[in-house]
Amino acid sequence: MNDVAKTVLRNRIDPVTASVIQGALENIAVEMGFKLMRMSYSSIIRESEDFGAALIDPQGRQLCESKQSTPLQSGPIPGYVRGVMRQFAERGEAFRPGDVIMHNDAYAGASHGPDVAFIVPAFLGDRLVGFSVTTAHHLDIGALSPGSCGIVDAVDTYAEGLQFKSIKVYDATRRNDAVWQILRDNIRASDLVVGDMEAQIAAARIGAERYLELIGRYGLETVNAGFEDLLDYSERLMRDAIAKLPDGVYRATNYIDGYLEDADPTRRELPLKVAITVKGSDLTVDLTGTAPQVPDKPINMPLEGTVDVAVWLTLRSILLDTAVYGHIPQNSGLTRPIRIVAPKGTLVNPIFPAPVIARFCPGNQLADTVMKALAPAVPRQVSAGIGNLKVIAFSGLAGEKHWVHMEIFEGSYGGRYGMDGIDAVDTLYANTRNNPVEDIESHLPLRVTRYELRENVCAAGKWRGGIGSIREFTYLADGGASVEGEGHRFKPWGFRGGQDGYTAALMVKAGGGKPRALPSKVPYMKMKAGDRFLAVGPSGGGYGDPLQRDPGRVLGDVLDGYITAAAARRDYGVAIARGAVDAKATEKLRKSRRRRR
Amino acid sequence: MKLIGVDVGGTFTDLVFCDTGADRVAVHKVPTTPDDPSQGVIAGILGLCKEQGVPAGDIDHVLHGTTIATNAVLEYKGARTGMVTNEGFRDVIHIARHQRPQHYSIMQEVPWQNRPLVKRRHRKVVRERLVPPKGDVLTPLDEKAVLRAARALKKEGVEAIAVCFLFSYLNARHEERARAIIVEEFPEAFVTNSAAVSPQFREFERFTTTALAAFIGPKVRSYVANLDQSLRNSSMRADLHIMASNGGVATPAMVAERPVVTLLSGPAAGVLGGAWVGALAGRRRLITFDAGGTSADVGIVSDGKFQEATARDTWIAGYPLMAPMIDIHTIGAGGGSVAYVDQGGAFRVGPRSAGAQPGPAAYGRGGAEPTVTDANLVLGRLDKNDFLGGSMKLDEAASRRVIGELARRLAIDPLEAAEGVLTIINSNMANAIRSRTVQKGLDPRDFALVAFGGAGPLHGAEVAAQLDIAEVIVPPYPGITSAMGLLTTDLKYDAIRTEFQVRGAIDLGKLNADFRDMEAGLARQFKADGVRPDEVSFQRAGDLRYVGQGYELRVTMAAGRLDERALDAAWTAFHEAHKAEYGHYFEASPIEIVNIRVTGIGRMPKIGRPGAPPGGSLAAARVRSGACVFRVDGTLKRFDTEFYQRRRLPLDEAIVGPAVILQTDSTTLLPPGWSGRADREGNILLRRGGGR
Repeated sequence: MNDVAKTVLRNRIDPVTASVIQGALENIAVEMGFKLMRMSYSSIIRESEDFGAALIDPQGRQLCESKQSTPLQSGPIPGYVRGVMRQFAERGEAFRPGDVIMHNDAYAGASHGPDVAFIVPAFLGDRLVGFSVTTAHHLDIGALSPGSCGIVDAVDTYAEGLQFKSIKVYDATRRNDAVWQILRDNIRASDLVVGDMEAQIAAARIGAERYLELIGRYGLETVNAGFEDLLDYSERLMRDAIAKLPDGVYRATNYIDGYLEDADPTRRELPLKVAITVKGSDLTVDLTGTAPQVPDKPINMPLEGTVDVAVWLTLRSILLDTAVYGHIPQNSGLTRPIRIVAPKGTLVNPIFPAPVIARFCPGNQLADTVMKALAPAVPRQVSAGIGNLKVIAFSGLAGEKHWVHMEIFEGSYGGRYGMDGIDAVDTLYANTRNNPVEDIESHLPLRVTRYELRENVCAAGKWRGGIGSIREFTYLADGGASVEGEGHRFKPWGFRGGQDGYTAALMVKAGGGKPRALPSKVPYMKMKAGDRFLAVGPSGGGYGDPLQRDPGRVLGDVLDGYITAAAARRDYGVAIARGAVDAKATEKLRKSRRRRR
Repeated sequence: MKLIGVDVGGTFTDLVFCDTGADRVAVHKVPTTPDDPSQGVIAGILGLCKEQGVPAGDIDHVLHGTTIATNAVLEYKGARTGMVTNEGFRDVIHIARHQRPQHYSIMQEVPWQNRPLVKRRHRKVVRERLVPPKGDVLTPLDEKAVLRAARALKKEGVEAIAVCFLFSYLNARHEERARAIIVEEFPEAFVTNSAAVSPQFREFERFTTTALAAFIGPKVRSYVANLDQSLRNSSMRADLHIMASNGGVATPAMVAERPVVTLLSGPAAGVLGGAWVGALAGRRRLITFDAGGTSADVGIVSDGKFQEATARDTWIAGYPLMAPMIDIHTIGAGGGSVAYVDQGGAFRVGPRSAGAQPGPAAYGRGGAEPTVTDANLVLGRLDKNDFLGGSMKLDEAASRRVIGELARRLAIDPLEAAEGVLTIINSNMANAIRSRTVQKGLDPRDFALVAFGGAGPLHGAEVAAQLDIAEVIVPPYPGITSAMGLLTTDLKYDAIRTEFQVRGAIDLGKLNADFRDMEAGLARQFKADGVRPDEVSFQRAGDLRYVGQGYELRVTMAAGRLDERALDAAWTAFHEAHKAEYGHYFEASPIEIVNIRVTGIGRMPKIGRPGAPPGGSLAAARVRSGACVFRVDGTLKRFDTEFYQRRRLPLDEAIVGPAVILQTDSTTLLPPGWSGRADREGNILLRRGGGR
């Protein structure tokens, strides 16, 4: 009898019921996410899908998550619940039926301040049986400048906006009106934000209701047993995948821009270091050597809620790739075999009250570093270096009311074994959506004057890197903006002979003036009607020797305008004449190119 | 009136004949001819006419469901397509919404990048720009550039061209002008424009829908033209109509102009057929459950009305499709669904299917994986000698072997494994129904389940039981309910316009003018199709949302001149719809009318009541009794089970479960605790209770 059968024997309930309960749990999370997305007001939630939904057990372990939500939102949810449990224990507070708890403490499980969770404890009679939780990135959380992105000059967590440390907004069904009034008085665009929060609560309540119905159908004991089996199942999958890796230590270093224009060298070009130790079916990710925290700039990453999620999700995407493994339930079992070591006082484990609000891009670079470390062990399961993202918070005043719009700008993937990189797309731990041009211009004093792929910035490789985008926004009324981004200084890494990718850039053009290059982080600045931003996205790294690229594909890239015929010759040794590959000349070129190596 | 419905499936072409004057209905089946499906269609029609003794020239209408467009997209075999679009926006259909289809995958494919509907080399840009809110011209159309683009595309050998400009849903003049220039320069090409295909905001989705139209356009156009010609060549004078995804039919000319209307029409006819059957049985609230070999389609019918999918929920082969369609939820669950133990040791069934080739192990065609059909056979629920009317012998030993292997891997008893396969697949099917009922504020217990397709009647009762649904209706010919559905349709054309008008500042003049204009356009279309004005009616609706939301809900809007009262009714209807859909509503929030819609309906003759079957007796219908295994109160038990021939069943006499009812195109299962009876409309009605 093989191993699988043996592990099945260890299960608590029969495999049929386990399968049925798993399907039912996922169905609940899907419904929560679906409803939250459709009810919500801010484009950052409804269009960008920057939200999460999950059910959590009384010990703070994730049972299931919503498929629509973005990984960086659902992933941290168990941490939010554990954070609230700790704070309740310290304060002597208890969960009660009818409670709704608001939480955004980045030093107690939250991913960062704008990602506010609403937690509904589910009670069977007077017994706490779990939590239904939604998280969402809110437009504004009362930070020093409008919006909740690009707060890159916050000096500590207090400057990042309101901090909610396990606050009951409903206390045993009684609405805590004072809290809601404080929210309305201290948050910009509060109609939208409060509307979104109400949608979050409604969706979380639906989740709790459905969870109790499920328990009603199968009994608490069976559901619990099914869940424990599910955790074991996920753990087993991850352990099997880790066990396939050769034992050893795999290392990589990447650098983030930090604050490129800052005079202080401890604030720019900061290393992220990863050492992955594989031993049997256990895997340790050691981040020792990563730069010290920046005590007064918010690019520090909370260990719980950002760093852990970046590590887990990257490992999962590589080792249990959905395209290969099919759908795998996302729950806490997947993370059991993984240990993270992050020295205190570094970028990856900051000490309160070091600010963290702009941790999004560094976290994604950390995810890329994990992939880079693992690449030699599983070269056919990774991409070359990814292009990172950028967020601009656009804002302005209409009378006495703020408008705030946050737009996430895409990166791109590096080349992959057998496949080119994905062009102009969210990468690794982010997977949001852009806003339609036709929606933006219909509702905001902005015009999108360009949105397409870049040309002639395509990292060569047997499988080329993905191509970055170029997007231009023009203000139609006076307003302001702030920016958090990455990847202006360091190119996405090429792999196995592929070329390095291309960096990102950001330009601003005031009136009829010349474009001015900006660094990747820009604190709030005024914008006048007619001013424009030109956001240039990065191109991912190439994979494999460009001289081995199928000449037909090189021709395709020329015909599609991604590269010139001259570049085809220079980078790939492919001769193109009159819209076709000259096979003979190509062979000759490639031969001589190889000889010269 | 003599009508024929023809539904082309992957394996069979199903036909239904109906003489509305004589309450006569007959069915027929011929093999599908995949290379040119019209051959099978013609052969089937002629065969059916001969069988019924009706001259082909006497047929008045042929109603046709075709997957020609669907298959072109699924197989990525469409026209070489070009696009003319705004300068600066060449890659809208490539960047999409910059979101990956899968969160957790490095090696995934991205459909719109890996299988582009229009390659970048064929996407030409021209200077042009409109701006909201009214579609004013910011940059005039560069007509010379359009001409250059047309010439270049012609030279590049494209066969179809999509014209896609930003904000064209507000003002289609530039698109129309560009289209005219292209057609003049390049008349052989299939040319379409985004405002004509789907005049709604969200450029990626609209441009992609338009690209899909161009991609399938030439193929669909020549298919319907060929078919129409072949009908004439067979001395038929019948009007040909083609099934559309919105639950109506369209003329060949309309389909040639707007081929996307057929893209998701396959399952739509099934829902119509299910609705018709339910209505005959006098039921107003129905869940249609159409399960075949690979997939199950779920549709909801309330008071004769279908739920419509919102524009953002409709996809084909990974591409978004903005076309009005019946809301149908499809999951990979059917008789061929494969049961397996995955890498982590979990027991799963589907969504992968063994299909027809090699099919379930029971088919004896070399299928080596356990499927739902094998599980049914092992549990005694299928008759190995009477499957598909005895035309195929089932290999019971093969089924036992593959289920036995599955059981060993799971370390459970083979019967437990077989029953487990069914419990899991039934629970997947029940979850699909929950997502369209419970999750939308509907209580499935208020509905009857209409179970059809080859596998629907076999699973209907157990799926219903999981949802506490008390009644299951099995139509007379479960396997060809879709073809029946074709004979219950009307001509149905949709018009849509994006409004972005907010409560409190509604421009009633514009709203009324837009509705009038849309209705006039549809009326012209019906006139061109030869439909009399008294046969035409209009239904209005609006897509509304609270200001700031991104998803709309559809509410009915009043006919005639709208005034404040009519608007108030729409606001109330929206709050109610929001409450039903999401569980609550926001009384104080302002409401925005995002789109307005008009559906024009041109009445068509329809299938009548099929006429009561002759009726027999239980004794005459009884074939044999056999042992079937069911789970009762948590444990598996063997039951002596009666097997009946459907066509000999008595009318209105109780049949007590467990029982199995055999017929050519399906098998109906009554589990223990269920009873059934054949009604005078030819249905079998199953009810929980009354059995052992």
